[in-house]
Amino acid sequence: MSYYFTILSPTDAPLFNIAFGTSKSGGDGIARFRFPEASQNTYMTQFIINSSLDMLEEAQWMNGNMYLKHIDTYPPAAAYISAFLTPSGTRFVLLHQPPQPNIPASATTSGAAGSMSMSLSASTSSSSTGGGLFGGSGSSGRTSSSSIAANPTAPQTEEAVRQFMSEVYEGYVKTVMSPFYRRGMEIKSPVFRGKVSAAGRKWL
Amino acid sequence: MTSPGDAAPVKPPPSFSPGVPRVASKTRYPSQRRDSTASLESEPAEPRIGTSPTPPLSRTTFELPLRTASPHGRPARSSTPQAGRSSLGSPIDGRADAALETRSLIIRSFSPVIGVYASADTDELVRQKGFKDGFWELIRPFGENVPGKLVIRDSIGSSRGWEDYGVRFVDLKESCQPPEGPNQGRNSSLAQVEGVLEKELDSPDTPLSGSLHPKDLLGLSTTSPLYKLYLRQLLSIATASPHETFRHPVASVVATSSRNPAPLESLRQLYADTNNGSRRVSEWIHPEYLRYYVLVHDEDRDDISESTKLYDQMKRHFGLHCHLLRLRSNQCVVTDDDSVQVPECEWLSPSERLLGRAEPLVDLDSDGLLYLFESDVMAIKSFVRELVAQSVIPFMENKVAVWNDRVASRRRGISGRFMSMSRKWAGFGSSSRSSFTGAGGGASGNYNVAHGFYDYDNDEALLRKMADYAFMLRDWKLSGSTYELLRSDYANDKAWKHHAGAYEMCAVSLLLNPLGMGTKTKLENIDQMFETACYSYLTRCSDAPNTLRCLTLAVELLKTRGGSAAESAAKWAMRAMDLGLVESIGQGLFSERISACYASRAPVNGVRWGSRRRKAGMWSLFAADMWLRLGKPALASACLEEAERLYADVIGSDGVFPMPEMQTLVDNLRLSVKVGYLEARGLDVREETGSTDPLDNEETSEKLDRRMNRRSLIMNPLETGSLALPPVQPARDGDNRENDDFERA
Repeated sequence: MSYYFTILSPTDAPLFNIAFGTSKSGGDGIARFRFPEASQNTYMTQFIINSSLDMLEEAQWMNGNMYLKHIDTYPPAAAYISAFLTPSGTRFVLLHQPPQPNIPASATTSGAAGSMSMSLSASTSSSSTGGGLFGGSGSSGRTSSSSIAANPTAPQTEEAVRQFMSEVYEGYVKTVMSPFYRRGMEIKSPVFRGKVSAAGRKWL
Repeated sequence: MTSPGDAAPVKPPPSFSPGVPRVASKTRYPSQRRDSTASLESEPAEPRIGTSPTPPLSRTTFELPLRTASPHGRPARSSTPQAGRSSLGSPIDGRADAALETRSLIIRSFSPVIGVYASADTDELVRQKGFKDGFWELIRPFGENVPGKLVIRDSIGSSRGWEDYGVRFVDLKESCQPPEGPNQGRNSSLAQVEGVLEKELDSPDTPLSGSLHPKDLLGLSTTSPLYKLYLRQLLSIATASPHETFRHPVASVVATSSRNPAPLESLRQLYADTNNGSRRVSEWIHPEYLRYYVLVHDEDRDDISESTKLYDQMKRHFGLHCHLLRLRSNQCVVTDDDSVQVPECEWLSPSERLLGRAEPLVDLDSDGLLYLFESDVMAIKSFVRELVAQSVIPFMENKVAVWNDRVASRRRGISGRFMSMSRKWAGFGSSSRSSFTGAGGGASGNYNVAHGFYDYDNDEALLRKMADYAFMLRDWKLSGSTYELLRSDYANDKAWKHHAGAYEMCAVSLLLNPLGMGTKTKLENIDQMFETACYSYLTRCSDAPNTLRCLTLAVELLKTRGGSAAESAAKWAMRAMDLGLVESIGQGLFSERISACYASRAPVNGVRWGSRRRKAGMWSLFAADMWLRLGKPALASACLEEAERLYADVIGSDGVFPMPEMQTLVDNLRLSVKVGYLEARGLDVREETGSTDPLDNEETSEKLDRRMNRRSLIMNPLETGSLALPPVQPARDGDNRENDDFERA
């Protein structure tokens, strides 16, 4: 299970990003997304998160809670999006991707996706990759049977994500109340980053 | 329902006459439709009097006492008021129009198949006219659009007129060949589809590559012609197979000519061939299809009075399903006064298209196109119309009524349910029949496991045929409920392909039925059905073409429903890409389609949220990337523009993405498109790529802006007649698009 956590301002600008992996059931806490060049750039996660804002906006007005639960899925990469809404309109978005795509016929997927690797052709001459646009490479077959990882929409997962979100929210409120922070600024506080990754270790 | 054969068609009662005008549908197919509608308008009056030098040819055929409907009845028929069902959606905006177009395409792809079997002398006659494949090739293009409105009665007796009805003429040989193996021929058919697309994209004279996206200012994307081609190809892959009867002949045209020394004998011989001779259909095809006897009269060489006499004899011998077709046997060339170009077949299978399209490209100037005399065209059109309106459709209506009565109602009633239940649980309902397969778990035993078909006269096969007939007659309510009946039977028999087909068509019927507008639960049902169909097709039968057809139908029909259905359409399209069913060009097309699905989801009234603009934009960008990788910068640029448009609402006014890496990606895409253009023009691109990043951003975004301006610029001067614009254009924009715009305007 790999996670990508973003805090978005009400105008969709990212205030804080962190990628981490699961620490449960022997995970080493390092994110392994099945996107191409996931280590170098994170545009796929950003695209998926950005596209899920459509759903988030809808859920925001249809739902009275702060924790909006699982709001969106991106099927080609089996990426799931959960969201949390603060009273000021700031959004916490968590993208999680289970270790193996839980769609059938993964063999054909990787074949098909391999032909679609996102090439940033002529301009970026470093296109030496063979990874697929929607994943297919790089997932070290760590088949952790923990319920969170195996089942991203299960109630246990929802609950774990909720705990994580509220803990992050606590830290976020404290950070934002800092006199050196103005609204809309990127959050650079190492303390906050530490708190988020601790929460990630604890709950996810 | 009355017996349709002998009675004059009954006008629907006035209660069915809200009179929804179907005029709108005429304008939907500007290119293909113009001729047929125009000729339709003029047909009753003018050609009958004007064109034929000899006594009006339709006289003899239309004065049959019992078939009064045709010439005189036609005006009455075509003005027949129709049931109010026809207004699906609101035809106000362009989107609904495009949706209706796709829908009509899908409906027309499931049209009845009519076999053609002509005697050797007939084929010889037609070959003189330049048609290599004989009589079949001659009449084939004319079957795809039956001129005029056809009135079809459904199972509850209400009539509905259809403007866009068509039939498919096939060589009867095709139905007689055994089906290909499940894999070897069929997997390659997807490759063939891809090949057709590639050819279409590469061919320079088609407008596809340039004006792929007609710019609609409404902001609602229409279907690209390339995608339409893809869809049409996908839907014409199917050949006759046991699991569905759409490609089984509904009727067969048996033709002889006036040159034949013994025409009646030859017709008998041909009939015998179709019954138990060389043209006997496979054992899973119902052999009792309609035979329609045609006497082709050679206008240039033979005596009409002889033929008329012969024709009277034919009617006496073979009954009412006869026609006298008067053709000239001389070849028509373009320089003849009344030459008419033979229309192109719309529904060519991928393999035919791969073979056939080469010719006009090779000898472009001495066009390999065929021409016919106008009198011949009129004769064939009226022949097709009479065949379909007075024989085929009544025959199908009749069959549906009979089978509905005898087979389906027995099954539908309470006792029928009991029968099938008891068959499942106790095995006494049909124990006599279920003995020979061993009857594991309530199987009916009718299924021939070794060869994978039901005998044509089993209940299951008859029901399927009835449902398919009802589907082709566009009575989706009846077909849907019949497919529903069949599903469990097929599952019990483990006839997986039949099972998949029943689920697929059941869902399609539900979606096509304009009354059953989807509520949430219904949509979930439909999703479930497609899921089952897919699983059965792909996993149990590994039948990729049918899976893809099923998924594409799901995408298109759900998309026409709009709202949350459009989202599940996008989901199915992603599924199709995920399963590895589509190849490179298909991937690009599907990405565009997903984008269109999301884009068609309109925001909730009055508020800004509820649309799926970001998702649509994302998929447009992906599509742009795929086109770029396929070396099609023109297509990529169109997608990029589309993405810009979609993102315009949701990102800031400065056009910069809030997320940095997204911005980089988009910038890179823009740059690559530009480089692609330049490379296509053979220019040196090095100094462009060498420039620094911020400069690039500026330049490219400026470029896109300017493109919009250019388009509006190019329209205006052309309207005022100044043609000096193209040289003024900077050289860096691709010339394809420019030229196309130029020529189009």
